[in-house]
Amino acid sequence: MKKQNKYYHIMLGIFPVISIGCFIALWYFVAAYTDYRIPNLTQVWERFLVTLEKPIAKKSIFEHAGISLLRVVKALACSIILGIPLGLLMGWNKTFRGIVRPIFEAIRPIPPIAWIPLITMWFGIGELPKIIIIFLGTFVPIVVNSYTGVAMVPRLNTDAGKIFGADGRKLLTDIVLPTAFPSIFAGIRTAIGTGWVVMLAAEMISAKSGLGFLVIRGQDVSDYPLILLAMIFIGVIGAALSFIFNRIERWICPWMEK
Amino acid sequence: MPLDGKIKLKAEHLCKIYFSSKGDMDAVEDISLEVKENEFLVILGPGQCGKSVFLNMLCGLEEPTNGKIYRDGTEIHGTDEKISMVFQRMAIMPWKNSMQNVEMGPKYHGVNKNVRRQSGMRFLEMVGLKGFEGSYPRQLSGGMKQRVGIARAYNADAEILLMDEPFGALDAQTRYQMQDEILRIWEKDRRTILFVTNNIEEAIYLGDRIVLLSKRPAVVKEIYDLSHLPRPRDNVSRSFMEMRKEITDAMDLGLE
Repeated sequence: MKKQNKYYHIMLGIFPVISIGCFIALWYFVAAYTDYRIPNLTQVWERFLVTLEKPIAKKSIFEHAGISLLRVVKALACSIILGIPLGLLMGWNKTFRGIVRPIFEAIRPIPPIAWIPLITMWFGIGELPKIIIIFLGTFVPIVVNSYTGVAMVPRLNTDAGKIFGADGRKLLTDIVLPTAFPSIFAGIRTAIGTGWVVMLAAEMISAKSGLGFLVIRGQDVSDYPLILLAMIFIGVIGAALSFIFNRIERWICPWMEK
Repeated sequence: MPLDGKIKLKAEHLCKIYFSSKGDMDAVEDISLEVKENEFLVILGPGQCGKSVFLNMLCGLEEPTNGKIYRDGTEIHGTDEKISMVFQRMAIMPWKNSMQNVEMGPKYHGVNKNVRRQSGMRFLEMVGLKGFEGSYPRQLSGGMKQRVGIARAYNADAEILLMDEPFGALDAQTRYQMQDEILRIWEKDRRTILFVTNNIEEAIYLGDRIVLLSKRPAVVKEIYDLSHLPRPRDNVSRSFMEMRKEITDAMDLGLE
């Protein structure tokens, strides 16, 4: 039994390598033998080497990726700072919930991208409007999850807190907030995903930098290797973000079962 | 155990009705009860009879519709520092390790960290969890979690411990162990215990007295004095069995 487990453990380590290998093989096959005119990995790699010497719009591809990442991180930071307290208040205070929730629920279904014209009109085309648009996408899941996390705290937990003398603020910070942590974290995880998507959409519509801009630039000049290169950057950075976030979550909530 | 000690906790005509548009629900009709200091009082009643509601009123989690509660002769309202609780579903906080759970009471009452760590250590040791201070609940078995719950109730510096079917969620084997444990702990550090159960055998094994409640809405049906049964009790002895028969006959076990 033990031996079997050990081999299975090794197998689990090998599976990702096999699946990525198969994926790349498929890609090669499609690029070489079909009419889908997609550049193969070698061409993308060569395009990458070219970007190192010849920047696009005066910036290297790493700078573009950094700019995109920074936009998402700024929007996320604002959402976390503003969204968690708002969600907590909505879950904790019935009056506040009664006033704020209807407005929130009315604005919530509007996709952040629909705001682009208005935001552009109000804030022009600098960094700020892009961050605001991404913020609109990341803010919502954080508020919703903080709110539901607090609203769904089991009565048993608050009862125990009360019995042992916690009230008001102590009950909120020592019982309610930690109980809601897993839900809040799930909200942030969702926000990272939407933030990344909204960032690309915003950059593809109006930007002079960032990974979304590279995709559109590639389309404009029919530079397909560039598009694929940007897509790979988008995928890898997105995956890295969620990996890092999982690590942070495990570090902050060591009690959670994984 | 002499039963003529001073009265620690007194319930006077406690009544709880839940009002709702679908019709009112009488949970507790009328319970008057005197609990003596350092007594192990068992409240026995069939499932859903309102015994948990009664306990929740005593500890201030539920407001009685009617009636009064006195602790040491003074009327009390709401939660009381001297009354703590061991919950059936443990109510151990998953993000707190054993020590952090056990020190909840003193922490909320503003006790200095070193002091509450020390007393926490003492009670964790008393319930046999020395070495598990830093363990999170998910790393503990059901029995160990409830030991944390008991240590927490003791560490809250409460004089009255309410226990709401504390072993109800445990398997039979662990349950027997925990019954011996709670008696050992109680004999070591005497407090007034109100122990709610629906298990007749558990009630006779543990109690100085048993208060038998009726079906819902709950009233006190009978009070049994068990001081003639010496401890530790033998649950297959003749006197134990006789008591068991007597209570079984009196208890509303019939299904309607």
